[in-house]
Amino acid sequence: MTKTKSKLGKLTWKNWILFAILFVGAFTMLFPFVWMFFSAFKTKADVYSYPPRWVPSTWDFSNFRKVFDMIPFLRYYWNSILTSVLQTGLIIIISVFAAYALTKLRYPGKKLFSTFLISSMFVPTVVTMIPLYLIVSSVGLNDTYAGIVLPQISTAFTTMLLCGFFESIPRDLIDAARLDGCGHMRILFRVVVPNAGGAIATATLFTFLGAWKSYTWPLIITTKTEYRTLPIGMKYLVTESSSEYQVMMAAALMAILPVLIVFIFAEKQLVRSITLTGLKS
Amino acid sequence: MKKFKNLLTLLLAFVLLSVFSFGCLPKPAVPNGSQAREDGEEGTSSTGTDLTVAMPLDERENVTLDVWYAVSGTSGEKFVEQAEAFDKQSDLVSLNLSYSGGANDTATKVAAALLTDTQPDVALMYAGASYTGSLGNFDTGQLIQREGFNADDIYPGIWDYCRYYTGGICAVPYGISTPVLYYNKAIVEAAGVDMTNPPKTWDELYEVLKICKEKGNVNGMEGFTAFDTSDVGWLFKSMLMQNDCPVVEVNDGVITPVFNNAEAVEVAEYWKKLVDEGLMAANEHSSSENKFLAGNLAFLVMSSNRISRWTEVDIEIGAIEMPYFKTQSVALGGTVLTIFTQDEQKIEAAWDLVSYLLEPQQNLDFALSTGYLPVRASELEDEKAVEAIEENEMYSIAFNQMPYAWAYVHFEQMGTMDLQLADALSRIEKGTKDPQTALNDALNTLVEDMEYDNQ
Amino acid sequence: MSDHKKRQRKVRLFGDVYNLSEMGVGTLLLIPSIVFLVFTFVIPVIQVIQLSFTNYNTVTGAMNSVGFSNYVYLLTGSSSANFYQALGHTAVYAVVRLSFDLTLALLIAVMLDSKIPMKKFLRASYFAPVVVPIVASSLIWIWFYDVNIGPFNQILSALGLPTSKWLLGENTSLMSILIFSIWKGLGYNIILFLAGLQNISDTYIDAGKIDGASNWQLFWRIKFPLLRPIVSFVLLMDFIEAFKAFTEVDVMTPNGGPMRSTMLLVNYIYELAFTNGRMGRAAACALILFVIIFVFTIIQRKIGANKTVDYD
Repeated sequence: MTKTKSKLGKLTWKNWILFAILFVGAFTMLFPFVWMFFSAFKTKADVYSYPPRWVPSTWDFSNFRKVFDMIPFLRYYWNSILTSVLQTGLIIIISVFAAYALTKLRYPGKKLFSTFLISSMFVPTVVTMIPLYLIVSSVGLNDTYAGIVLPQISTAFTTMLLCGFFESIPRDLIDAARLDGCGHMRILFRVVVPNAGGAIATATLFTFLGAWKSYTWPLIITTKTEYRTLPIGMKYLVTESSSEYQVMMAAALMAILPVLIVFIFAEKQLVRSITLTGLKS
Repeated sequence: MKKFKNLLTLLLAFVLLSVFSFGCLPKPAVPNGSQAREDGEEGTSSTGTDLTVAMPLDERENVTLDVWYAVSGTSGEKFVEQAEAFDKQSDLVSLNLSYSGGANDTATKVAAALLTDTQPDVALMYAGASYTGSLGNFDTGQLIQREGFNADDIYPGIWDYCRYYTGGICAVPYGISTPVLYYNKAIVEAAGVDMTNPPKTWDELYEVLKICKEKGNVNGMEGFTAFDTSDVGWLFKSMLMQNDCPVVEVNDGVITPVFNNAEAVEVAEYWKKLVDEGLMAANEHSSSENKFLAGNLAFLVMSSNRISRWTEVDIEIGAIEMPYFKTQSVALGGTVLTIFTQDEQKIEAAWDLVSYLLEPQQNLDFALSTGYLPVRASELEDEKAVEAIEENEMYSIAFNQMPYAWAYVHFEQMGTMDLQLADALSRIEKGTKDPQTALNDALNTLVEDMEYDNQ
Repeated sequence: MSDHKKRQRKVRLFGDVYNLSEMGVGTLLLIPSIVFLVFTFVIPVIQVIQLSFTNYNTVTGAMNSVGFSNYVYLLTGSSSANFYQALGHTAVYAVVRLSFDLTLALLIAVMLDSKIPMKKFLRASYFAPVVVPIVASSLIWIWFYDVNIGPFNQILSALGLPTSKWLLGENTSLMSILIFSIWKGLGYNIILFLAGLQNISDTYIDAGKIDGASNWQLFWRIKFPLLRPIVSFVLLMDFIEAFKAFTEVDVMTPNGGPMRSTMLLVNYIYELAFTNGRMGRAAACALILFVIIFVFTIIQRKIGANKTVDYD
């Protein structure tokens, strides 16, 4: 009856068919990564061999050294982590404030603000990029972390997402807290945030992934190597090693693997917090 | 009623912000450039001093130069190595080096930086002459006349690659390349073609291609073709020049594209014939390098910088000089050193760097470790050059092409022209437009865009 | 901050009654959002509107007012075919991607929500492509699609099937990009749907089960209506995403692919702005794109608003 994790004994053949379908699907989703993993160790001869070689004939680690020779990989990594964390933190804090104000408070101009906020989601970055570049340059923020992070603070998506979850927090809870004499900030941090922990975790994860992938803006705003982020570094690797697939795969592997590990860890937290969140009143 | 109010508030806020942001919109920093363009003579420098003579040493100050470069990998490493060696030996100049991305990224960044006046002092980039030229900065034309630089030693065709259409030289060659015709030895041998007496004209090559197509598929692969190129526009422009079509003409300081004349159409017809006879695959040029390295292509036209890059490949590669129609010619490509700074002290420092990099030995060292070409005729007599040719015969092909390497003048709409040419060729290959119409359309679009820009 | 009296103070504005302290706190909380919105969105958009009436060119530095000629160039000029081609590709891309993303993601989410082993692993597998930077995964797929040494063609020819030109074929390039985009974006929607499914209170399900509803009925009668807000959210976001798609096309088929067959609107804007340096035209094109997205959103919201379900 309940959703407790039952052991395999209770599974019917229907469940096994579902499982089989899902497993094939999952394999398809993961296949590119498997291919990337093996290919990162291939030699150039393996890459061009016909018929194709799935597993490298010899495990060649020189591709990784080539990547480090070509680009300062660790620096890019650090830049990506730093800018993504800063960006995510700012976006989430601002969005939580805004979502609370939009869902739990009554005041004029709310609709107007929502319209503005929502319309900002519909504008591709390519539209605002040139004026943004001119603004950022005029205050001298090129080649700074602030120059990378601040113009990318777009809170519309997370605010909308959080609004959806905040709305489901019953007003009774908040009214009760207010009758107890709580101020709005206390209600926000003591009642709303804990009740929407799962939602905030989801928003944080999505925002972080977005920041981690972001590529067009850092590309135009950074000129110095020391401020480049990972996707930009990878792009430059592509321009150079045009047809050296095995080197590209080595770089991709190094870029992807730690993210996947962090993700698998964070995904558990995320799922647990979603299921534990008391969204059901 | 409420909706109306919201709309009104929105409108008012919009107007308010419009007024506010008018003030924020920076004006492009080019006006002095567009003025200078009209009297862009080689006689006057941006600083008003005569730059053909070096500044006395006791007037020099310590300066730091911002240097951007658009070459990466081995070429980038070698450039950095040479620049750092210069930095070390120079008491007055120190360098701040940054890789600014590939050709397009660097162009975008330099263009954007010029608007906000944050451009580098020196850039190693593609089409640099069109930027300094459009700014009316022809300092370089004076600097190269300095004693000891020996500008005449550099091939005249290469100087054209550094020239803006109003006439002035405004960049210095470094990292130059030409297209080279490579071939897969195994395929050509199997087809029974004797490469000791290589085809000299495109018509001779055409016959060779036909034989290779018929008998050369030694690997038995699907989609085997005899000929391709990785850079359509580059090869096509080379072929136009070989058929006495100069691509663009300059009359009284006005650019007139001519790539739709009878000579150009002849070249396009030949191009179409290659596709129609199945000797070249239509619109698959971006994968031609992989195809060639996989042994599925007999002949490939690609940059000379591949000579040093294709070292660990499975196939045996040879090269021959580029065939021609009426006269021998190859279009130049690659990067140039562009001096953007207009500060007297920095110009001196920048010139120190540029002339160091252009010393015959440095330039040859760069050429031989990157696959780019030496720009000075005297470098070819150097022992190292002779050794390199002995080691890899393909170098001699690339070096032999230098005397007839050629470039057309730089102008702002070069990018548009290349796009239009590539588009026209892809339509010709596809057969959706006949050569004359395709070239006419491409030319008209280019002319329209040039008029638009000069509005 | 919160004494009893303050909370009682009311104010009348625009014909409505508001609580003064709520107004104050609400404004305060919105200030950070407003500041960023103004600087990263409002001002740039206004400047783009201004730019769209000039022939601003980054290479020549020209910046003169040209009236509506940028719009004329895009919509009726001799090169307008490029714009309509990009618009057509974007529409096809959006519709195909949307239909696959929604149906597949919903299907997989429902399957994942049932009782199966290795649930966490499966969920993670589907979500994995989302985490990966697009540049990195594009690299892998470029190789997959390689006509000569790519695994796709090698498998096809090993099976004796005709090979495809994938990214290099005029008719297959957009499809190839779509396959990649769907692969890349699917997990995102799965997670959202799954979160929605898991948030459905057991009481509704149990009530349905007590009434003897089959799984099929449970889904269509109870779960799907409850999921509707999420579905409409995903629909909206996906549509916008599809119209904003750029990176994968730019990395996998530079310059718009064979015969410009993968040229989407944003890529066309990028070409106008950065390859050609003509910011004026790019700005005009960007504004047209903005209007299209905006109109769709309003329509979608109108429809979505009518369909909110009541369950009691």
